[in-house]
Amino acid sequence: MIFDEVFDVIVIGGGHAGCEAASAAARIGAQTAMVTLNLDLIGQMSCNPAIGGIAKGHLVREIDALGGIMGRVIDRTGIQFRLLNRSRGAAVQSPRAQADRALYRKEMRRTLEATPNLHLRQGLVVDLVVHQERILGVEMQDTRRIGAKAVVIATGTFLNGLVHTGRQSYAAGRAGEPASVELAEALKRLGFPMGRLKTGTPPRLDGRTIDWSAFQPQLADEDPVPFSFSTERIEQPQISCYIGYTTREVHKEIRANLHESPLYSGKIKGTGPRYCPSIEDKVVKFADKDRHQLFLEPEGHETNEVYLNGFSTSLPAQLQLDLVRMIAGLEEARIIRPGYAIEYDYVDPRELGPGLQSRRVKGLFHAGQINGTTGYEEAGCQGLMAGINAALFVQRREPFRLRREESYIGVLVDDLTSQGVDEPYRIFTSRAEYRLALRYDTADARLEPYGRELGLVGEKDWERFNARRDRIALLKSALESRRLRRSDPNYSAVSSLLAIDLGDSVTLAQLSQRPGITCRIIEELLPIEVRRRTNARDLESALADLLYAGYIDGQRATMERLHQHDGLRIPADLDLGSLDGLSREMIERLERARPVTFGQARRIAGLTPAALSTLLVHLSSKQKAA
Amino acid sequence: MKIRDPNTSAVVDQALITHFKAPHSFTGEDVVEISCHGSPVILRLVIDSILRLDARVASAGEFTLRALSNGKMDLSQAEAIRDLINAQTDAAARQAVRQLSGELSLRLQPFKDKLVALIVPLESAVEFVEDDLPQTEAQETGETLEKLVSEIRVLASTFSHGHLLREGVKVTLVGPPNSGKSSLFNRLLNTDRAIVTEIAGTTRDTLSEHINLSGLPVMLTDTAGMRESTDLIESIGVERTQRAMAEADLLVVVVDGAVDLGCEDRHFLNWTNESSPVIALNKSDLPMFRDRLTSEFGGNPRIVQVSARTGAGVDELRDAILTPFAAVNGNEVGLLITDARHYDLLRRAEVELESAQRLLREGASEELVLVGLYGALRFLGEVTGETTADDVLTEIFSTFCIGK
Repeated sequence: MIFDEVFDVIVIGGGHAGCEAASAAARIGAQTAMVTLNLDLIGQMSCNPAIGGIAKGHLVREIDALGGIMGRVIDRTGIQFRLLNRSRGAAVQSPRAQADRALYRKEMRRTLEATPNLHLRQGLVVDLVVHQERILGVEMQDTRRIGAKAVVIATGTFLNGLVHTGRQSYAAGRAGEPASVELAEALKRLGFPMGRLKTGTPPRLDGRTIDWSAFQPQLADEDPVPFSFSTERIEQPQISCYIGYTTREVHKEIRANLHESPLYSGKIKGTGPRYCPSIEDKVVKFADKDRHQLFLEPEGHETNEVYLNGFSTSLPAQLQLDLVRMIAGLEEARIIRPGYAIEYDYVDPRELGPGLQSRRVKGLFHAGQINGTTGYEEAGCQGLMAGINAALFVQRREPFRLRREESYIGVLVDDLTSQGVDEPYRIFTSRAEYRLALRYDTADARLEPYGRELGLVGEKDWERFNARRDRIALLKSALESRRLRRSDPNYSAVSSLLAIDLGDSVTLAQLSQRPGITCRIIEELLPIEVRRRTNARDLESALADLLYAGYIDGQRATMERLHQHDGLRIPADLDLGSLDGLSREMIERLERARPVTFGQARRIAGLTPAALSTLLVHLSSKQKAA
Repeated sequence: MKIRDPNTSAVVDQALITHFKAPHSFTGEDVVEISCHGSPVILRLVIDSILRLDARVASAGEFTLRALSNGKMDLSQAEAIRDLINAQTDAAARQAVRQLSGELSLRLQPFKDKLVALIVPLESAVEFVEDDLPQTEAQETGETLEKLVSEIRVLASTFSHGHLLREGVKVTLVGPPNSGKSSLFNRLLNTDRAIVTEIAGTTRDTLSEHINLSGLPVMLTDTAGMRESTDLIESIGVERTQRAMAEADLLVVVVDGAVDLGCEDRHFLNWTNESSPVIALNKSDLPMFRDRLTSEFGGNPRIVQVSARTGAGVDELRDAILTPFAAVNGNEVGLLITDARHYDLLRRAEVELESAQRLLREGASEELVLVGLYGALRFLGEVTGETTADDVLTEIFSTFCIGK
């Protein structure tokens, strides 16, 4: 086969998965081409212009710690930063930021263009070149052929995308952009099991036609917490978002027009995300609710577009306008882009190994919505993992994996590849067994050494990482050794604040565990030389480490007792049919998921406790024999 | 239907063949049952014939395992089958049958549902901070939690009776030498198991037998009489007696009723007083039997006049032994926890919930309270099957309208 150009790695798609994949592969040293339909839309936020949130913000922090780019880009282009769950413990706090949509694209493009070994190419991939179950390259619509040892598919909603508004529907990857139909056919020809999912967006309004005084402003944090560990300060001017509500009248009107909704007329077959329902769904499923919350999110400093978050809909455009105008403050509103629903193909992620490489075609990797996920952050972290592993594959190095216990990325990849999906998959903190150990502020401690080893964390960042690690260690030893004594001038103030007797002396570590003791109080009590060398964020991390340590140990003990066999490996050549007592259905479930360890098998949906016992008995007797 | 040898075509038996179509069979799979005539020779021949057709014999417990795999029963039901096979008495079998009908899982299901109902608002508050959710009231959560903990505690406490059904009640006969323990032992057993002589100190070792006492499985132990002794073998026996006493669920102090209470008797009675024993005033057949001894015990309802020799009063003694275990043995008894594994899991769930209670009281952040709630859920799930993160999310999405 003759190729017009040859690279080590090709990344198909320039969305959030594609950008991380291409950047990581190139920086690990692979000659990498990113092929995308439209170079001007690299890093486009197709849905809401925001990054982060609970668990999602954790993912961005993990991407950043591994040397990914999403965190840095949003830090430079975010126009409203908020740390969520400030009133709760550090483990469930997470940063979120509203982005300037156009700036984000621009900054992402700039970042990629400044990356050595990375080559941008515009075009539509229509076929994969596969020989003897191994990827050789891709074929473009304009008949160019590009060769590569590894290919990452990160096509988002473009695979066989079908956009719905009211009774109208047309093939598209996003409103106004062509779908990728031939590539979907190529995947089907290769035998990949595929399914159909659905997602949607709300209408976008002209900000000049909104009566902002009718809404309640939601301010940005005064001290914005950045996503990237390398960001020292957020420079973008910060704006407010606005909160409003739908009314009973709106709900009534929606119900009266449900037959116009492709969701309810039966036109849409794909499964949508339960946690991101359309307004039609909200009104039908929670009929007793008087109002639903809406967020008005300005899309940038230099645009009038406003994203009406919470009002995702695929009703006809004219009806959308009527409904919007029934909301207080939006009586005069004009819609710039109507909302729509989109259906698209995904490939069963159980086709992939833990490094996101396909088992069917060597050198082929899948990342992002093609794996059935939703969200920029979920896409980004898969892109990073696929890009890393594509480059490692080319360099014939061991694949890179993350464990569930050490990262949300590990949880997500394991869930996808061992469980599959039946609705668009979103990360939640509750998906992690050890959520207390996976804090956003420990992503560096957990993952940055891996990033360094992979060659994705540069010298300057590595110095910063080590300095912070040392500062936290210094703080922890000071907290353990420094005692507040009765003779101390602060003693009486602290003990009267807590309204209890603290005894003759108490370490700051012990004191910090008491309800009512804030980070600020502890800071005041620290030796001046320690305070001078550290900062408030370091102290928060050190205190959270102390607070959670006992719980994490206890939880680990419980889990180890219950799941002591999770590490047992399941031989790849195990003939499941030979195990007595496994029913056909259980064998099929196991074969589809192909778990590598007993722990993965345990998490397969629908596998009965007895089937697991059967497997366990077999594995442990095998182990004893070995 | 005629069953023929596949090689010789000779008729082996005329058998009844029943076909249970999947999923309406014990295992949930297609099952064929062949009922043959009751001769072991015929059975052997039939099985051999079938095996020659490339079939194999089921491994131990395989049918139960298949039934489990196919969702025809849960783990606690399978454990009940094991108990049923091993059951020593009717009461034990009754409990096993209850468990087999899924009663334990049914009993635990509401606990699990309540736990999930507690988890949902806390988890939602953590996970969906930007959604317009109703505030959770710590006080209300605390009250629900308190109720749940005490319900689990009550169920777990039935193990103190329930385990007796599986393991048997340990009833130990103790008393001074020559009070007739061994005779009474034999009488209760209806055999001459223990050697009986006139010589004090004949029994030098403890001796145990299983009996079925009106449906209650009992391990009855005869012991050496307790007295100061210089005889080495006898003093070893005394040591064993002490051990048997410590392990007993119920002591029966046997006292010679034909003589006045000696200091050894009194010593014994004082010694065993705390364990509220049954007192058997033996030798009621003898003319010098002292009726008044009964009143000396101040109308203790657990005192029985008995004659090991004639058997008089033995039924009353049996009743006195059974009385403390009435909660175990009756037909009307509710579900008991009989398995140590189940008990252990319930206790662990209780401990987890107590830690959640404490944190809730202290006003700790939700993610910490949730650690205990999820811990408890995992332990309960060991009996009834796991509740996954996805199950909880499903519950959240059907309870609250989530999502921007």
